Amino acid sequence: MAHGPRIVDLDRLVIRPGSGWERLPPVAGAVGVVFTALSIVLARGSGESTKQFFHSWLVAVVFFLCIGLGCLFFVLIHHATKAGWGVVVRRLAENLACTVPVLAVLFIPVVALGMYDLFHWTHADAVAHDRLLRVKEPWLNETGFWIRTGIYFVVWSGLALYFRNASRRQDDSGDETLSHRMARFSPVAVALFAVTLTFAGFDWLMSLEPHWYSTMFGVYFFAGTVVSAFAALTVLTLAFERSGHFRGVITGEHFHDLGKLLFAFTVFWAYIAFSQFFLIWYANIPEETNWFLSRLHGTDLNPADWRPATMLLAIGHFAVPFFFLMPRTIKRNRTLLLVGALWMLAMHLWDVFWLVMPNLHREMTFSLLDLTCLLGVGGVFLATAGWLLNRGSLVPSRDPRLVESLAFENI
Amino acid sequence: MAQSQDNTHEPVAGRAPLIVGGYDFRSLTEAVAEPVERKTPIGWWLFFLPSLAMLGLFGVSIGWLFWEGTGIWGLNNPVNWGFAIVNFVFWVGIGHAGTLISAILFLFRQKWRTSINRAAEAMTIFAVMCALVFPGIHVGRVWVAYWMFPLPNQMDMWPNFRSPLIWDVFAVSIYGTVSLMFWYVGLIPDLATIRDRAKTRIKQIAYGVFALGWRGSHRNWLHYERAYLMLAGLATPLVLSVHSVVSMDFATAQLPGWHTTIFPPYFVAGAIFSGFAMVMTLMLICRVVFKMEDIITMRHLENMAKIMLLTGCMVGYAYGIEMFIAWYSGNPYEQFAFANRALGPYAWAYWIMVSCNVITPQLFWFKKMRNHIGWLFISSILINIGMWFERFVIVTSSLHRDFLPANWDYYQATFWDFASLIGSFGLFFTMFCLFARFLPLVATAEVKTVLPEADPHQGEELVRVVRGGGDAAAAPQAAPAGGGGA
Amino acid sequence: MRLPRLRPRRPVGEGPDMGLMQLDVPEASGGYSHYGVLARFRTAKELYRACEAVRDAGYSKWDALTPFPVHGLEKAMGLKPSKLPFVVLATGLGGAGLGFGLQSWVHIMAYPLVISGKPLFTWPAFVPVTFELGVLGAALGAVLGMFAFNKLPTYHHPLFRSPNFARVTDDGLFIAIEAWDPKYDDQDTAEFLSGLGAAEVEHVPIEDPADDGDGAEGA
Repeated sequence: MAHGPRIVDLDRLVIRPGSGWERLPPVAGAVGVVFTALSIVLARGSGESTKQFFHSWLVAVVFFLCIGLGCLFFVLIHHATKAGWGVVVRRLAENLACTVPVLAVLFIPVVALGMYDLFHWTHADAVAHDRLLRVKEPWLNETGFWIRTGIYFVVWSGLALYFRNASRRQDDSGDETLSHRMARFSPVAVALFAVTLTFAGFDWLMSLEPHWYSTMFGVYFFAGTVVSAFAALTVLTLAFERSGHFRGVITGEHFHDLGKLLFAFTVFWAYIAFSQFFLIWYANIPEETNWFLSRLHGTDLNPADWRPATMLLAIGHFAVPFFFLMPRTIKRNRTLLLVGALWMLAMHLWDVFWLVMPNLHREMTFSLLDLTCLLGVGGVFLATAGWLLNRGSLVPSRDPRLVESLAFENI
Repeated sequence: MAQSQDNTHEPVAGRAPLIVGGYDFRSLTEAVAEPVERKTPIGWWLFFLPSLAMLGLFGVSIGWLFWEGTGIWGLNNPVNWGFAIVNFVFWVGIGHAGTLISAILFLFRQKWRTSINRAAEAMTIFAVMCALVFPGIHVGRVWVAYWMFPLPNQMDMWPNFRSPLIWDVFAVSIYGTVSLMFWYVGLIPDLATIRDRAKTRIKQIAYGVFALGWRGSHRNWLHYERAYLMLAGLATPLVLSVHSVVSMDFATAQLPGWHTTIFPPYFVAGAIFSGFAMVMTLMLICRVVFKMEDIITMRHLENMAKIMLLTGCMVGYAYGIEMFIAWYSGNPYEQFAFANRALGPYAWAYWIMVSCNVITPQLFWFKKMRNHIGWLFISSILINIGMWFERFVIVTSSLHRDFLPANWDYYQATFWDFASLIGSFGLFFTMFCLFARFLPLVATAEVKTVLPEADPHQGEELVRVVRGGGDAAAAPQAAPAGGGGA
Repeated sequence: MRLPRLRPRRPVGEGPDMGLMQLDVPEASGGYSHYGVLARFRTAKELYRACEAVRDAGYSKWDALTPFPVHGLEKAMGLKPSKLPFVVLATGLGGAGLGFGLQSWVHIMAYPLVISGKPLFTWPAFVPVTFELGVLGAALGAVLGMFAFNKLPTYHHPLFRSPNFARVTDDGLFIAIEAWDPKYDDQDTAEFLSGLGAAEVEHVPIEDPADDGDGAEGA
């Protein structure tokens, strides 16, 4: 290269005074509060709308939780593999992961109030007449559910805060031993993460239909989580670049890599989703097919049925992004990559909706509460993320591998 | 370990060297080409002749099988799938590590793979060969084995494409084909190296024909690298699909212990696990026999140990989830199948499997154990044994307790079962010995790219980091061009 | 890059006609005294700089020849990205389409048979074989396409006449400028390359001086 080195000024990698990012926490927070209040008002309308509220709220919280958890996974894997390329985006992931404790606050009280409406296995009369529910009682009981939920949130929040704090301490001290320490701890953290995420999926989503079981479900939940995290990370990185914060820091090479990972996990999700469906469809055992039957009943084109919803998932979560995200040129084009990432976020939301809502509606139904809950939780999520991002550098500015990451080029 | 340099400690700034011993392009060529060019060492015969004897046993056992029929095996009424399927799944699984190393690690830019990928890919091909033998011979009436292929015939009959066994035929044969192409494409530049160094006319022609006239043109490298990248991109989903399809031989059935949705990814993880154990065994021997300790370094071994730990934990996760869901399902058949696995007549096999596959790799949490050659060797053997038993447990423990208690029976392998298992190792090792003797064991052209002097921007500063308004003197950190992979 | 000609053409050199695909040499090349100039460079860095210089000097019929792919050299040479991905996409989709078509045809028309109570058109059960055949098609496209773009096998090439050139598969980093390049000149081009820091510069003969018709060997 004939031209000289690219100069990156690390002290300027914070949110600039007066930029829109500074106003994000109050604005998003206001939106969150207003729509949460509106949701509660709407929920008080009738017994039906209360039920709807709890389901919509579960969809919204799980959707944003997936983003935070997937980002936590990215951070853990980054340290475990001592990766170099992604150091420049790692701080964004660290911050998004730290929304998990706030989402816990949104999750616990609401789900606690809605246990009866959400989970059939909490109905004492149903358990009394249902042998299967009786057999499962040692697992599916409210005490156990809340102990486990507590453990999940403590583990996730602890990991998210530990990795963000250690990384930020390095910003100040430049202490390289912190990198070693995080790398050493991360494999253990991955193991903890895998187990907690699996059982969270079992408890919160699989037990909505308490008779159904699938050993793959934890992996399915994980796959969707990672897809949404890479999509969100891509969107956030692009947003910071648009606002002029990452000029000369993030290059097309980094976007190419983010796009590749988004593509890879989209395919991985499809592999897991198809395998789960396929094995149950093929063996055709009644106690398993029920779950898919309620999502496949009806005709192809009737929008009131769940069948088109399932088809949208297959096409929109796999077929379309598979061909869209495959070419190299799209992953290196900011606008098209943004379209792809936003699309995958929307599809992940659809995935969570599809997992939860057939529990409530035999026919596919949208409600105003779906929207208000999403905006309520989303507002709080963005306010938290914005508040975290406004504190300190946007990249791990003294990470020993930062320079390697800045100079990174794809094969 | 008499290492000339320890490269297992990753510095936080920069990267540890991938190969040690101060090689340059020329000495690297020498080191890799030397085993191909020198006189056959006596040690090679020590490995080759026993392998050939085992291969002979394989021939005898297959011949006897064709003559006498599957009755020579220990199959009985409920357990009508025995060693043949166990061996088939085992060998397909062994192959998967080769593709993981050559394709998936390539996509993840793990440059350390360059020292071991050639041998691992070769291993893949030989393992797939071994695997393909078993479905071929266990069909009973081998003379109509061609019914498995969609060939037009006078009966106007077609295979049932809804059958997982037909998916196997396609998946495994295509896997073999694609692996062979991938391996061959990687070999072309190295075959050209041997061609250009060859002294005898026969060698010049033999290697020259397969080198296709390769002359290192960069206009060729351009397409070559793109083809290689795309083959890696294709081999990655292919390798996932192959063991997924194999798992569906079991998981599409309704038999408790077979029908469980986690089987596809669980089988893939187990396949990579066992394959890495086999690569480890082979590499530990090869690096000593061919004096390649500086090319296949401690760091390579340690990274492989880490992958074995990861995949071992995945396998353990799957065992655990299977047990949990069997209980959680509330389905008495599921519950029985898994209780019977751990406590029934085949409990011995189950606990061999758990201790070899889940407990053994846990020691790899400790760096000391990852760097202990003796333990690496022992654990790689133990894991191979454990992974063979995993398939044995799945096949027999689910079958021997049928839905009808009147059918219950116990499967006992016969001499000929063991003969074909040992014989398949003969085929595998014979092929591997021939490979190690006549072809370059290490992908020389690829290893050359990880030498520092292969980087056209060596020592150039690509990015300069400053703090505070462009004051370059504040804390400049220079980016050395082209950091290696982890 | 052009696809190989279907019509075989005699190579200019009198080497044995082993190549399935012939060199892309102009018809009128009989008049050239040399194949071109071959220069060896000591390091990848020097080679990279030299390639940039040759590109900037406006040469078009030239090549860099190296024992391993030098990272980013295609940029220094000004090469366009490979078109191979399009071939692979086409053959991959073709393989998958063929696979799905075959299975559907077999189960609906050629040999309809109800198995395990499932409909004749059981598309989910066709997915594994469709996928495998798609991968097979794509992989064949990648390998055979690469061979076609690179004109492999080409067993004979004038560069093999240079005794130095055997190093190209060992440690030699070369640039070859062909005589039929419009900017080529026997003297000037050689001097230009040594000016770029080449360790050795030589003229490669287009015909083997000692060639009696079948003596020169490519392999």
